[in-house]
Amino acid sequence: MSSGDEAQPTTTTTAAKPAMSRFLRTNDSSSSSESESEDESDSDSDAPKRPSRPTLPLAGESDDEESDDEERPGVRIMSAQEKRLVEMEATGKVMENALKINDWVAISTEFDKLARMIQRQHNVAEPVPPFYVKTLINLESSVNTALGKEKEAKKKMNATNAKALTAMKQKIKKAVKEYEDDVKKYQEDPEGFERQYLTTITRDTTAPTAPAGGRRAATAAGEQEEIDEFTTVGKGGKVMQFTAESIFKNLQAVQEARGKKNTDRAEQIRILEKLLEVAITSYQRIRVLLALISSRFDYNSSVSTHMPTELWLSAQREVDQLVSIVAADLNYSIQEVTEDYDELLERSPTTENGVVRIRGSIISFVDRLDDEFTRSLQNIDPHGTEYVDRLKDEKALYCTICRAQAFYEKTKQDEPLGRVIMRRLEHIYSKPNAVVQALESAADASEIKPSMTLSAQGTTSALIHSLCVYLYRSGNSLLRTRAMLSHIYHHALHNDFHTARDMLLMSHLQESIHSADVATQILYNRTVVQLGLCAFRSGLIKEAQSTLQEIFTTQRVKELLAQGVHQQRFQVLTPEQEKAEKQRQLPFHMHINTELLEAAFLVSSMLVEIPLLASIDSEELKRKAISKPFRRLLDFADRQVFTGPPESTRDHIMQASKALQDGEWEKCRDLIQSIKIWSLMPEAASVKEMLAKRIQEQGLRTYLFTYAPHYSTLSLSLLSRTFSLPLRTVTSIVSKMIWNEELSASLDQSGGVVVFHRIELSRPQQLGQVIADKVGAMVDQNEKTLDIKMGGTGGWGERPDGNKGEKRGEQTQERRGRGERTRGARGGARGGRGARFSQGLGNQMPGHTSQRVG
Amino acid sequence: MAEHDLSKTIIPYLDRHLSFPLLTHLADRSSFPVEEVQAAQYELAKGTNMFDYAESLFQQLHPDDEPPAEFEEKRKNAVSTHERLQQEAQAVLDVIENPDVAQSLRQDKNQNLQYLKDNYNLTLDQITALYNFGQFQYSYGNYSGAADYLYHFRVLSTDNDLNTSAHWGKLASDILTGKWEVALEELNTLRDVIDSRSPASLLAAASASSNASEPALAQLHSRTWLAHWSLFVYFNHPQGRTLLLETFLSPTYLNTIQTSCPWILRYLATAAILSRKSASVGSAGAPVSSRVRNAIREVVKVIQTEEYQYQDPVTAFLKELYVEFDFEAAQRELARAEEIVGNDFFLVEFRDEFLDNARYLISEAYCRIHQKIDIGDLSERLNLSRDEGEKWIVNLIRETRMGADAKIDLEKNVIEINRPSLPVYQTVIEKTRGLALRTQALGAAISRTGQQGSGKSDNQAPAVAV
Repeated sequence: MSSGDEAQPTTTTTAAKPAMSRFLRTNDSSSSSESESEDESDSDSDAPKRPSRPTLPLAGESDDEESDDEERPGVRIMSAQEKRLVEMEATGKVMENALKINDWVAISTEFDKLARMIQRQHNVAEPVPPFYVKTLINLESSVNTALGKEKEAKKKMNATNAKALTAMKQKIKKAVKEYEDDVKKYQEDPEGFERQYLTTITRDTTAPTAPAGGRRAATAAGEQEEIDEFTTVGKGGKVMQFTAESIFKNLQAVQEARGKKNTDRAEQIRILEKLLEVAITSYQRIRVLLALISSRFDYNSSVSTHMPTELWLSAQREVDQLVSIVAADLNYSIQEVTEDYDELLERSPTTENGVVRIRGSIISFVDRLDDEFTRSLQNIDPHGTEYVDRLKDEKALYCTICRAQAFYEKTKQDEPLGRVIMRRLEHIYSKPNAVVQALESAADASEIKPSMTLSAQGTTSALIHSLCVYLYRSGNSLLRTRAMLSHIYHHALHNDFHTARDMLLMSHLQESIHSADVATQILYNRTVVQLGLCAFRSGLIKEAQSTLQEIFTTQRVKELLAQGVHQQRFQVLTPEQEKAEKQRQLPFHMHINTELLEAAFLVSSMLVEIPLLASIDSEELKRKAISKPFRRLLDFADRQVFTGPPESTRDHIMQASKALQDGEWEKCRDLIQSIKIWSLMPEAASVKEMLAKRIQEQGLRTYLFTYAPHYSTLSLSLLSRTFSLPLRTVTSIVSKMIWNEELSASLDQSGGVVVFHRIELSRPQQLGQVIADKVGAMVDQNEKTLDIKMGGTGGWGERPDGNKGEKRGEQTQERRGRGERTRGARGGARGGRGARFSQGLGNQMPGHTSQRVG
Repeated sequence: MAEHDLSKTIIPYLDRHLSFPLLTHLADRSSFPVEEVQAAQYELAKGTNMFDYAESLFQQLHPDDEPPAEFEEKRKNAVSTHERLQQEAQAVLDVIENPDVAQSLRQDKNQNLQYLKDNYNLTLDQITALYNFGQFQYSYGNYSGAADYLYHFRVLSTDNDLNTSAHWGKLASDILTGKWEVALEELNTLRDVIDSRSPASLLAAASASSNASEPALAQLHSRTWLAHWSLFVYFNHPQGRTLLLETFLSPTYLNTIQTSCPWILRYLATAAILSRKSASVGSAGAPVSSRVRNAIREVVKVIQTEEYQYQDPVTAFLKELYVEFDFEAAQRELARAEEIVGNDFFLVEFRDEFLDNARYLISEAYCRIHQKIDIGDLSERLNLSRDEGEKWIVNLIRETRMGADAKIDLEKNVIEINRPSLPVYQTVIEKTRGLALRTQALGAAISRTGQQGSGKSDNQAPAVAV
């Protein structure tokens, strides 16, 4: 149903729709109604899918003469019919030929073809052609004879052929049973049957006669409508074709046609819209709305594309309408599971003795509406105006969600309420205050309001808090997890690093996130990244570095954040995987800017790593201690023979790092501050200022590490001048380095100088130290391995002096203090979240895992 | 001054009766208006059965008014309740105090109960009377009596919830009667009970703290309460400070403090500072665990992480000294901290000791970083006059290991510290010291698992054969 010529008529029909109904009501002229019937027959004959026949544009048809119109449908249908018949006969011919050479495989396929044609015939409400019946009877007899022959001469047929034969036998049996009446009639009087057939098809296509007994109720009902149309218009339009009484009948007809291959969805929607106009009682309106909304969602069957915006908007309005009807009158309740009731009867609170229960589900409509919205954003080019226009619809959607929430609060349905609150939360958790305010004010304007609103709660954070608290209380653990992550994200977004970090650590999510579904993992990644950015903004460089490191070592940042599909170099994704991947992508407006992210990560890496690099003097240690992503870039920059002026963010940072290594902190600062991407960060100015300060401090540290061997004393005031830091800060930094034994020096207070006590180690001494370290590491490693083998807590190593236990205790304490870092390390030891995550994504990456291990 | 007072924060975590000493202390210090404190005391007393006390407080508050009539009523009620409960409890007590019974009681509580039931017709309900009477006595201030009854009840009863409640009651009574040794014992058992308790059965503790429904939360609550109550014991028992560090620095309690009551950090920090001497003494005498030895380092780490939610001069002092190495700021903070310590109910006794130890910490850090120190400057850092400073420094050098490295040059009025850096051989030896022992432990563990493993495979083998 996705051929190009299909799309044309549907769009025109939907466009012409409102005008048409107005015409009908006012009984203006018959041409319009005819154009409608035209349209119907057009779509009818179009349904059997004949790409060869071009559809005529509607506009041209409506201009046609009346006399012309009267004949045309018949003629056209006849030709279509004939064509079909010809086709059938051709198939029959092939079958006959195959019969002659006893090729049952060919017969079987041809028969299937024929059966399909007949099925189509059914759908357009035509009687079974006698040809088919004849073929059926012939086939039956030949199958029987063939089987008989087969029994006698066993080895004549090959296996596939034999299989096809038995299959044919079954099929024929089934078909004969289905058309029993026709077969009987035909056998009694072949000519009479044929005559009857001819008369029926020469008559108006929409004639109500049903010569074939096997016709389905659905098509009959569909025809009924068409007849109605004709009669009413013919009479002069006294009554409308859809009356309140016939609603349920029509509704049932539509419902039965739903999901069938050849149903014209646009047509169905139109019928339902008309039904909605005539519906009087709440019950009727609820029923029609339920059907209408689902058929709107049905309109687009393929998964890849999104719903047309107009349809979406009307669906959204109708959901609103539905909610307000049900919310206004509590005697009607829509439930997913109800007792059986007669679809065709009008029901009201009086007939039902209380609450009228109707089958349906508002929450699934809301879910679907939201999903469709996301999908449309995924598919629209984010840089066009269309995207922005579409984004404006979020307000309406948000209102709908709020209304649904209010409704569920009123009726106290906890399960859907949790879901709807989650939906609401997902719309606001990642948005800045101003946007939330806009959304909330729109929601505030509606007549049905949920209990939690921005105006009631005061601040956005309070609103999100109350939404989250509700979800924490509800039993659903998935919702709870997601709410928690959204809450943390929100805190991080608002620079509340400590709260966000504490919540993340206390939730213990990092231990269980591997087993969560992919969407939640993505949310987790987003949250962690946001936390890192938050730390960066608040000047907690170390925390930022360790938080972001984990995700950057995978080198698949975009994929992990669902902001783009990773290009796999060595393997190709299957179409299904690609499709699934695409569906997961976040809409553009939710993206976290990866370039900014990278800038934050690399700058914090620079500030952490460069002094560290300077402090380590042996090559081996250097190789080990440095985090890989930064190190790789730095090495690459080092190898460059000629470095031009920096262009990209990376260039800036790499050159800044080199400047920092050389002690030129001013150059480093200028380079970092000239990175353009900072402008995307809120409070860019203060962040830059903070960075400048950090660069000064770390520059001083790097300088001391690098040049300490060349001095025996160094005046503090000189340092203070060089790095334009106050003397007190310099003293403090130097003292800290001395205290932590990073620098072997001491201060001479009277002279105001640092005195270095450097001892040059001889080579054997150095080696001795290295060996001692290695042996220590080996024992540590052994203990760890045994720990894992023993199942962690097994107290194998409880020595009498209790040293081990204390050590472990200290480690657990540290976990909180340096939570970020520990977590990163733990993730690494397990093979990384990246590895697990990639399994979830369906693509293995052995290269990455081995790299971790190695 | 009042800004750093913790009484208001702490009182919600204390029992009614335990708050009285705190309030009295506040009244003595007069950092709050006397009327307000008295009003608070009166409000507290009104909820208890201590009418006489409440009445006198009322009269202090409103010298002109008649005391409300409800006191009379309550008194009558209380007296009758007392008699009734006493009779009930006496019956049990008579039996228990019988020497025969005392001898035949065993460890097993169920057996005891059966025995009492068979021989003396004592049921569980009657034993519960002990609890009720104990509780009642506690409520009118007869703490020693309450402690007695609750003790007897705990020995006999098998009801877990009431037992826990009795534990709390006994601890409070012991604290209020000032029997620190007993209280310490009680505290330890109570801690074990809370820690070992499977979360499901913590409801009693939960009812004591709040009506929390979640077991993990209830445990957190109990730990929070215990942390507060234990302050009474730890700052009064002679060994208390070390024990406090031992307890509060254990991961579970550290987490509790970080999550629910960061203000306890003040006491933790103070205890860490106070423990300086005991640590250095301990290295010679009784063995001190490494947790206490490294207390300051640990505490500084925690203070740093929790800085965003709790800060006061005591923690700021440690932070300035060990994180920022800003001696001037540290000195400033020390002056403020001294005042706080002097005004704090728990810490008031330790004011001088605190100051002494804090000074020591400053000078130690100072000496480690500097090579040449002007004595005058150091004295200033320590808030001491020049002469005093010199004396102090000499003592310091004499007392500590620095003796060999530091020399005073009186002419220039400087100390010169000459610390030879550690020889490489020494560092290698340090690094490899424990390795043999650790490897041995590993080997032992492996052989143990090997035995278990082989035992298992032995068990499996016949099964396969069959």
